[in-house]
Amino acid sequence: MSDAVLPAVTAAPPRRRTRVPVAVAIGLGWIALMLAVALLADVISPYAYTALDLRNRLSAPVGIGGSWAHGLGTDELGRDVLSRLFHSIRMSLLIAFGATIIGAAFGTGMGFLAAHFRGWVEQAVLALVDFSASLPFLILALAVLAFFGNSLTLFVVLLGFHAWERYARIARGLAISAGAQGYAAAVRQLGARPLRVYWRHILPNIASTLIISMTLAFPEIILLESGLSFLGLGVQPPATSLGNMVGYGREYLTRAPWILLAPAFTIILTTLAISIVGDWLRDRLDPTLR
Amino acid sequence: MLRFLASRLARALLTIAMVVTFAFVVLRLSGDPALLIMSVDAPPEAIAAFRAAWGLDEPLWMQYVKYFGAIVQGDLGRSMRDGRDAIVLVTERIPATLALTLPALAIKIGIGIPAGIYAALHRNSLTDRLVMTLAVMGFTVPSFVLGLLLVLVFAVQLGWLPSGGDGTWRHAILPVVTLGIGGAAVLARFTRSAMLEVLGQPYIRTASAKGVPWRAVVRGHALPNAAIPTVTIIGFMVGSLIAGAVVVESVFSWPGVGRLLVVAVSNRDLAVVQCILLLVAATMVASNLIVDLLYGALDPRLRQARAGGAG
Amino acid sequence: MRAATLLEARDLVRRYVMRRGLLGRSVPVTAVAGLSLTLHRGRTLGLVGESGCGKSTTGRMVLGLEMPDAGSVAFEGRPMPPPGTAAWRALRARMQMVFQDPLGALDRRMTVAAQVAEPLDIHGVGGAAERADRVEALLRNVGLRPDQGARYPHELSGGQRQRVVLARALATSPAMLVCDEPISALDVSIQAQVMNLLVELQAEHGMALLFISHDLRAVRQVSERVAVMYLGTIVEEGEPDALLRDARHPYTQALVSAIPHPGRSDGRIVLQGDPPNPAARPSGCPFHPRCPVAVARCAQEAPVLRDHPGGRRVACHLADPAAFAEAA
Repeated sequence: MSDAVLPAVTAAPPRRRTRVPVAVAIGLGWIALMLAVALLADVISPYAYTALDLRNRLSAPVGIGGSWAHGLGTDELGRDVLSRLFHSIRMSLLIAFGATIIGAAFGTGMGFLAAHFRGWVEQAVLALVDFSASLPFLILALAVLAFFGNSLTLFVVLLGFHAWERYARIARGLAISAGAQGYAAAVRQLGARPLRVYWRHILPNIASTLIISMTLAFPEIILLESGLSFLGLGVQPPATSLGNMVGYGREYLTRAPWILLAPAFTIILTTLAISIVGDWLRDRLDPTLR
Repeated sequence: MLRFLASRLARALLTIAMVVTFAFVVLRLSGDPALLIMSVDAPPEAIAAFRAAWGLDEPLWMQYVKYFGAIVQGDLGRSMRDGRDAIVLVTERIPATLALTLPALAIKIGIGIPAGIYAALHRNSLTDRLVMTLAVMGFTVPSFVLGLLLVLVFAVQLGWLPSGGDGTWRHAILPVVTLGIGGAAVLARFTRSAMLEVLGQPYIRTASAKGVPWRAVVRGHALPNAAIPTVTIIGFMVGSLIAGAVVVESVFSWPGVGRLLVVAVSNRDLAVVQCILLLVAATMVASNLIVDLLYGALDPRLRQARAGGAG
Repeated sequence: MRAATLLEARDLVRRYVMRRGLLGRSVPVTAVAGLSLTLHRGRTLGLVGESGCGKSTTGRMVLGLEMPDAGSVAFEGRPMPPPGTAAWRALRARMQMVFQDPLGALDRRMTVAAQVAEPLDIHGVGGAAERADRVEALLRNVGLRPDQGARYPHELSGGQRQRVVLARALATSPAMLVCDEPISALDVSIQAQVMNLLVELQAEHGMALLFISHDLRAVRQVSERVAVMYLGTIVEEGEPDALLRDARHPYTQALVSAIPHPGRSDGRIVLQGDPPNPAARPSGCPFHPRCPVAVARCAQEAPVLRDHPGGRRVACHLADPAAFAEAA
């Protein structure tokens, strides 16, 4: 062989380890805390979130005249705000996770369908994408929710359709370019079935882009969920979510603002933390997504 | 250019048709409106009469055809609650909504764009960081939380402004500010990144290397080019003038279209919801069309192509 | 000596519809306009032409990746099944492709060894241990070390990546390999190595090669026969040395004259006119607008590919075999 001695392979430069900015570190810490609260809500809640304490109605939090019995105070029925907050965090995160995953799976699937079949299938998907992108999602969601009544499953699925068109666009674009001249066409001509091409090759290659899109959509879904719940059209009592707590706490804005402030700041901090971490991830991993 | 316009128009009409279909499908799938409006124990004759009156006893495709035909003729149905024309109910609320959203739009543009440009031109300065931090906050604080916080401070604690309702211009201040701040944050962020993108282009560096004064470079090259993507997002904001205040109107009990929508949705008032859906879709689609036309005016390449095509 | 026929393509035609703009009118583009070729077992056919002459489309139709609009492809005497069918997929094990851009053809999220193993996996060849052995053998075979199998494509050089693509193509011991510009994306210093490797691998594995290139010299180095394409048809075909020595079609003559020759002083033939545009095929002979010797007949009547003495085939009114026989 003409070249029995191959030139030594120059190893790719190791990924540079840049220091994690302080804001991102705090954001990650907050997200971890929220996840822990969501997982351990039953264990760490001092009371059941529906337990009434009628002698201690609208009692203030510690520091402004309240007692340690109810650290963040109680609501109009004497329910412990801290316990309700923990369960609301669990509910809101659960809904946001479920909806984000549904949206990503549905959108990516539609994008792949469009890329695989082209022709009228693609036109139909693109028309749906245009349709979704051209209307404020809140309006669509309001119409669907009120007329279908309200179950938690429907609510999660509905929120899943928020931003599905972004995944569909990304997945379609990347799958087409992979199939046109790239590795996907190469694998297909090896005799691979379409499922193998999409699952084993295209999906892993576009996963980082999709995951970044998910971190961008996640806070939006939390905001949507809390907005709809605030309007009384989302999570229904006795279940509780962050927006739902704000909505019901609003009636006691003057007498017991703590009912509303605790979930309100939780929403702000959580969406802020995820946005900061998501932006940082995007800048580091995928500069094309802006 | 004519062909471009025609294809845009066709797309716009298709979107409207899809919204009509969507409204029809969702509303008819959701159950029997007769049973929802009438009480469950209403006499069967009354329910049947209600169905006949609203055309609910006909086959579904027939309802769809009639529905589509009626909308084409401008008949958007009557409110099932009080029997008035839905279009009248909705249009009489529009001035109230615009009274909030138009000043809010002025705030968004008046604060968001200068802030974004300033931040981009002084990248990584203290002001840039401050603007961007505020912008991220504005984006992550939901409007109902912001609104309630403003109420807590300015209405409850300080007692300067009313906490809700309508009547005087003072009632409008808090909702307008609530709407304006969030939008200004989004716009500032967007303008900044559009500007930074343009400032990184080779022609900017070439122009400043040739000795063109920096101010002239920014005014002559950077701003017009950064305006192109910014117009898109402003177009979206214009499109949501009617629909963008649903939550804020609810927070401040403001009698606008958004409040009407929430009430209509709770009451399952089909005609009103459909009417608002269509109205929102029409505004969105119209503003998208305008944005497309503005592109032609703003983008010198498109302008040249048009001139070349004409000559 | 004639080797057994492996693949026979007859009168292939491929048209595309090109759209200008969203509502623009459709322009038919004829990429391949009635092309026939035969591949023999263990032999190499070179296909030469400018970019846009339809040579890559021909390669894709020969592989069955694209269906011809007219004409037929028969592999081992059986017609090519339509793409995507089970029969078509099974046939992939027998015919493989080597791409111009090896980095694009490899999945950057998979190790090299996993990608070389993939055809074995797809076609269910052997057990896990057997596959690992086979992958190791294949890597050695193309001049890579087995430990390089754990690398990812971006950690290899361009030449090494093309070796990986070759190893993957050879995994199922195909009877036919279509190489579409396999060296034009590589450094000049690496090109010769990969060419030599191709020749060695063919000697060892005995597969037929369809070698597609714009470079007559590269094709000549590996091919037993060379076909020259112009605007979707073959204009001349023959043995490479004979073709270079005595080109009979004016287009081949222009191609040959463009090869720099030390010590040759006669000028190269510079073609006049626009480069060929498959969307606007000229009438008659597709080459006549640029042909230095065209006559009136060339604009009206398309010449057919005729057999000439010495295993030549030429499609030119002015290169009549009878006339050559007289001259000779």
